[in-house]
Amino acid sequence: SLAADPAVISPQDPTLLIGSSLVATCTVSPDSHLKAEDLYWTLNGRRLPATSYTALSPTTLSVALSHLNGSKQQSGDNLVCHSRDGGILAGSCLYVGLPPEKPVNITCWSKNMKDLTCKWAPGTEGETFLPTNYTLKYKLRWYGRDNTCQEYHTAGPYSCHIPKDLALFTPYEIWVEASNRLGVAVSDVVMLDILDVVTTDPPPDVHVSRVGDLEDQLSVRWSSPPALKDFLFQAKYQIQYRVEDSSEWKVVDDVGNQTSCRLAGLRPGTVYFVQVRCNPYGIYGSKKAGIWSDWSNPTAASTPRSERAAGGCDPKGGEQNTTLRRELKQFFGWVKKHAYGCSNLGIKLYDQWRVWLQKSHKTRNQV
Amino acid sequence: GDSWGIFTFLCAALCNLPALPALNCTEELGTSQSIQKTYDLTRYLEHQLRTLAGTYLNYLGPPFNEPDFNPPRLARAERVPSATVDLDLWRGLTDNARLAANYRAYSLLLCYLRALDGQAATAELRHRLGHFCSSLQGLVLSIAGVMSSLGYPLPAGPSAPPGTLVAPNDFLKKMEDFWLLKELQTWLWRSAKDFNRLKKKVPPAVVTLRLEARGF
Repeated sequence: SLAADPAVISPQDPTLLIGSSLVATCTVSPDSHLKAEDLYWTLNGRRLPATSYTALSPTTLSVALSHLNGSKQQSGDNLVCHSRDGGILAGSCLYVGLPPEKPVNITCWSKNMKDLTCKWAPGTEGETFLPTNYTLKYKLRWYGRDNTCQEYHTAGPYSCHIPKDLALFTPYEIWVEASNRLGVAVSDVVMLDILDVVTTDPPPDVHVSRVGDLEDQLSVRWSSPPALKDFLFQAKYQIQYRVEDSSEWKVVDDVGNQTSCRLAGLRPGTVYFVQVRCNPYGIYGSKKAGIWSDWSNPTAASTPRSERAAGGCDPKGGEQNTTLRRELKQFFGWVKKHAYGCSNLGIKLYDQWRVWLQKSHKTRNQV
Repeated sequence: GDSWGIFTFLCAALCNLPALPALNCTEELGTSQSIQKTYDLTRYLEHQLRTLAGTYLNYLGPPFNEPDFNPPRLARAERVPSATVDLDLWRGLTDNARLAANYRAYSLLLCYLRALDGQAATAELRHRLGHFCSSLQGLVLSIAGVMSSLGYPLPAGPSAPPGTLVAPNDFLKKMEDFWLLKELQTWLWRSAKDFNRLKKKVPPAVVTLRLEARGF
């Protein structure tokens, strides 16, 4: 255990460009009784060759490093001066890297005109070898004051969220500044109007059910997103569906602004997963479309067993309830009112049971 | 292996304790349960620390993450109270002194760890450090709980709020971070023994009764 610093390294904690060279010196303190020839160097735990050493004085040993690679870890490379027995006398952290490049591909979206989230990509393929800070800045086009975004990493590592105080009808100028020990880079300025990048929540209450006994059809119903009422926009929808054991989604584009759709041309006796998403458009009367929402959580349903064919989305709204389904619905409604604790019982559970029944029939038939 | 599973389960169960079941709710019962909980917490933290230290030392880079790394302890690093103590001295500690030493050490270690969190360069490190600090704070509170249930006064907080371990250069800072983690590890090893010793002072019958009541 040592009291005062046994040795001093120079330069201490330097910042260097990749490919540069460095000559570092280790000077032992007069109290230590060590000489230059008692010393050796390591870089990140690896001993450096004695051929790169030069004794500049009886108490100073230098080492020459050339063509430095980017730092092995973001906390800096560890250049250490040792005494002959391996003990550490002093160390210096080398920060070797590149200045940042202009961040690119800034894209932003606003959830229901209440906030703004932006994401971007770093200019280099990410690797500067040095810790790089990103700052998102924004200002209203004709009002000088710069604002800085505070909530980072909300939608991935290169993202920021502005939660409030956003103005409508005046464009924003948005840019990202990247900085590290070697320099600063500023992205191009993106100009946008909040109203042009609006998205909303996925449609809630997505229900998929059979169309009576029709084996090739399913009926999809959903509600419009709640924000539709609050803000003057219309919504258009898209549906995607796939067979349970496939990863290929089929997209139905021409759903328009209805909140129901009938899928036809499906395979009988098959379980389908269905998702719906929504795009707000005509915001405050503009003709532009907004940004598609996320897809709703997948809802499953199965077509009845047998054979037929066709294709597309039939806008004939509403589903056909069979007598059985109607009666079941009434029964469940009655149960909810009169039998406490059966709140999970409902037509949805019945549908899930049917799906399960379908699946177990399938596996049984496969045997 | 299996004992680890039992510890985590015990810890989770004890931490989620609602009200005490209808038994003779004496003060001793509350204390023995607190001591057990504190013991479990030290074991849990010891496990968490292994992952945290691994990540942090990899961040510092070689030679810090080499298994036999043993740098000199510079005078500055003595600010963190050492867990290492003479065996006879340790055996002879009164309950109050034993608990107070633990309380003081972890309060200080928590401050230093929080400072580390503030400077951590990567999101992963910040996340792990943040989580560990929350658990460590739980331990400090748990020790305070044991002390107050035994009627001991809590030691005064760190005399001079330490802030950061101010090192004159980045390499020395790395060494101090290394020793902070090492000291934390040693303290957790020692605390398990401290609380095990305290546990034995509570009649074992009481402890068994508690476990049966919960149907383990």
